[in-house]
Amino acid sequence: MSTQTIVIKPKKLFSFSDLREVWDYRELLYFFTWRDLKVRYKQTVVGVLWAVFQPFITMVVFSIFFGRLLKVPSDGVPYPIFVYTGLIFWQFFADALSETSNVLIVNQAIITKVYFPRLILPLSSVLTKFIDFAIAATILAGMMLYYGYTPKLIALFTIPLLLVITFMISFGIGLFLSSVNVKYRDIRYILPFFIQLLMFLTPVIYPAGIAGKYSWVLALNPMMGVIQSARAVLLGTTIINWTLIGISLGVTFIVMLFGIYRFKKTERYFADLI
Amino acid sequence: MEHPIIEIKNIGKKYTIRHDVNKYGKLSYVLGNIFKNPIQILKEKFLKKNGSKEIFWALSDVSFEVFKGEAVGVIGHNGAGKSTLLKILSQITPPTKGEIKIHGTVGSLLEVGTGFHPELTGRENIFLNGAILGIKKKDIIRKFNDIVSFAGVEKFIDTPVKHYSSGMYVRLAFSVAAHMESDVLIVDEVLAVGDADFQKQCLTRMKQITENEGRTILFISHNMTAIKNLCKRSVLLDKGRVIMIGETHEVIEKYLHTHTE
Repeated sequence: MSTQTIVIKPKKLFSFSDLREVWDYRELLYFFTWRDLKVRYKQTVVGVLWAVFQPFITMVVFSIFFGRLLKVPSDGVPYPIFVYTGLIFWQFFADALSETSNVLIVNQAIITKVYFPRLILPLSSVLTKFIDFAIAATILAGMMLYYGYTPKLIALFTIPLLLVITFMISFGIGLFLSSVNVKYRDIRYILPFFIQLLMFLTPVIYPAGIAGKYSWVLALNPMMGVIQSARAVLLGTTIINWTLIGISLGVTFIVMLFGIYRFKKTERYFADLI
Repeated sequence: MEHPIIEIKNIGKKYTIRHDVNKYGKLSYVLGNIFKNPIQILKEKFLKKNGSKEIFWALSDVSFEVFKGEAVGVIGHNGAGKSTLLKILSQITPPTKGEIKIHGTVGSLLEVGTGFHPELTGRENIFLNGAILGIKKKDIIRKFNDIVSFAGVEKFIDTPVKHYSSGMYVRLAFSVAAHMESDVLIVDEVLAVGDADFQKQCLTRMKQITENEGRTILFISHNMTAIKNLCKRSVLLDKGRVIMIGETHEVIEKYLHTHTE
């Protein structure tokens, strides 16, 4: 007889064995990510180049309107590279968040038919968007060469840390929203609007310094710390503000724990509610 | 007798059903009253005062045991609770009461083709679907040829499945699932699709799973011939309760009898 015994009981609280289970299903995580990437660019002519076009064209349009015409300050670096650095991090966050929030609804058929750790689904959404980020980042590398910027050595440590923060914050908020979305579909109507508003509260198209003495309010938004620090290490716009990174990391961590808690709490009933 | 592989004890599943008095579906109602009495509308909407609630037990006090290498049929009329039981067994939804112990791994085949993506090729879908069903990649690689030849889609393996005929689609999906290596396999109404030849092929495969490989199947179907063919023992459910457990032919007799009542 097999060694493993499954016990099915009315309610299961969060346990660390859940995390091990996610690890056991890592192949599924890979296949979901692979599927999303593969399917997305089927029947398109330029395929994966779309991951580059979108931020690139946004950068061009923003540079013309905000950089040229409105003369938005950019901490002394050329506006295109300034805004592009902000944009790719922002887009990683925004896309990952909206994708994660809908992931349970989109995969409804699988959720109501097969058992697997549900956390795999939002994880794979964020991973997919991370790959998009990596593709779009190649343009940034090209721009840095073109404009003659060399990143500080510390970027090797800072950039991965900033990516981890972006990963966790979109994952955390996304988990919370996706578990609410299962019951209240209002989320999918509110979210695009909310993300758009949030972009203006994040220093994507303008430097953080513009808010003057209120910039500490913006610091509570983890994406502000991420974007400002990315510019600091890559372009040398400001000195690296470790307190800001610390705050971002702290807020992110709390949000993510809360997201996981909410998600795990409602997880068992997704199939009944959806 | 040896130790049972599945022990189901006093399982109950409660659903709360809301009966909406659906006046909000009517635009005229909302438009007519939103200005007259906006607070009332919001209150009703959020407190869900419109409509009443009813508690419904889809399953109550279901207990039985299944032994290793057995194929057990589960039969009952529509709404008897068969699918709910399977969903609980495959951990898609939790029970409200009771406990189930399964000594081994469980694979469920609730609907063939779950997780198939129309844009992906047959080959890609085998890997994706396999992963969803919990089959390890190296096992899929090992069994790849078996899966393809069982489904009989060798020629179209690199064609997107959206171009498959529905028969091919179902055959491929069943084939992936039939190659799961779990100790317990839960099968729900797969035979409803596919032609007679395919149904025979499925039954043969399921017999092989129980008789030769010593694994266990829980088989749910309305197809009495298939149940008789595959299962020695069966469970009859009605209105969420176990009415009878015993030799398949007796259970079927009882089932057909309750049918005429």
